[in-house]
Amino acid sequence: MTNDTKELVERVRGGTSQWVRATARLMSLIENCPERIPELLIGAADWPMPRMVVGLTGPPGCGKSVLVDGLITEFRIRDPQGRIGVIAVDPSSPFSGGAFLGDRFRMMRHASDRMVFLRSAATRGHVGGLLLGVNAFIRILGLAGCRTVLIETVGVGQNETEIADVADFVVVTIAPGHGDAIQLLKCGLMEVGDIFVVNKADCEGAAQLYAQLRAVLRLDSGERKRGMPDTCLVSASRRRGIEELVDLCEKRAALSQPAWEARRRQAMISEVKAAVLEEARQRLIRALNSESVGSRDVNRVLRGELAISNFVDGLIQSTTGTRDAATNHG
Amino acid sequence: MSDNADMKRIPERVLIGKVGLDGHDRGAKYVAHILRDAGYEVIYTGIRRTPQQIVETAIQEDVAMIGLSFLSGAHKKLLTQVLDLLKERDAIDIVVTVGGSIPSADIPDLKAMGIAEVFTPGASSRSIVEAVGSLLKEHRQAV
Repeated sequence: MTNDTKELVERVRGGTSQWVRATARLMSLIENCPERIPELLIGAADWPMPRMVVGLTGPPGCGKSVLVDGLITEFRIRDPQGRIGVIAVDPSSPFSGGAFLGDRFRMMRHASDRMVFLRSAATRGHVGGLLLGVNAFIRILGLAGCRTVLIETVGVGQNETEIADVADFVVVTIAPGHGDAIQLLKCGLMEVGDIFVVNKADCEGAAQLYAQLRAVLRLDSGERKRGMPDTCLVSASRRRGIEELVDLCEKRAALSQPAWEARRRQAMISEVKAAVLEEARQRLIRALNSESVGSRDVNRVLRGELAISNFVDGLIQSTTGTRDAATNHG
Repeated sequence: MSDNADMKRIPERVLIGKVGLDGHDRGAKYVAHILRDAGYEVIYTGIRRTPQQIVETAIQEDVAMIGLSFLSGAHKKLLTQVLDLLKERDAIDIVVTVGGSIPSADIPDLKAMGIAEVFTPGASSRSIVEAVGSLLKEHRQAV
């Protein structure tokens, strides 16, 4: 680990009055320099881990943030000494690179609670519903003493299922008004849930959606011979059903401990690979845009003088040792 | 995503919100919107937040700037509290800007307190984006 990272790590671990700032800074470092993820993860071998990492996902507007807000309150009541970490992800604009991070808006009553550390993050072009570096964020929160970590993905469509590799178990939230029962049969989102929540129980159509969901899941679990996921009817805004949901989370966490230990190791390997790919991608983009290799050879490909595979060989060769060229990291 | 977007600078993070009791959030949302479109990551806190909540959020989110909007006239008192808390948390490097209905007579006092910029009604989106850009450039060089 380089010195700046080491110093921040010591301040996070020390738990002095500076731990909040140091935790935030360390997260920014990872967010801004994804190529330093491996360095952090390798150094993190002996760091304390959260006892539970909960993933929450679902379509935009189904009430994920309000649900997270309710979960924070309930976890705080059950474990008053346990610190809670929250990672709330929203999408970056593919056009401006900016982002409107509005999840925290629903959780502001926890903002001055020193036992809750809440971080909003933008996807910054990462596909899958999370940010590159989310596993490093989890490790940093573990180091900062967070016993429970809640991760809220972007409002997902149908195929952003990366959360299943990152969290110990996944809570999929749906709400009435987002389409008929056919949506429940589609692949992706519906396949990653360990717990399914129908939120907005106070709204019309919730009971019907809940019955349809149960029917689909029952059929699924029969086909695949895996256990039936848990289900729960919740009204997050009226604080109904949250206690049952936390009971289900506790049950899942106890059930899957050996499995999640293995999964967390696997997740870190995946993240190192992703960071390597990101660095390679940046180098290749630089090469592709450069006058000497990029434009010249693109034109040769267009004229039929150069095969794509040879072009790629040349491109990869030209990126060797371009580590510091034009990089804006660090 | 285009190649250009990939090559772009790292987005900077800013907090936009309101403290105090007035609930007029039109301006704050407008500024959040234009900064988002100018490539910033905007953490929006909403209305009626306490100075403690704002400062704690700014630190946890590691923002470079806090932008607060006022209509009520309580800006001096509340901004004093925000700046005091930032000092207490050793986070005085975070730039604080203000927008809203601020009497022009108050502006020199606010600047003397440590408010970096004051945007009054009628400030164009372009002037806001430009001012924030140059403030954060100074901030980057200072940190």
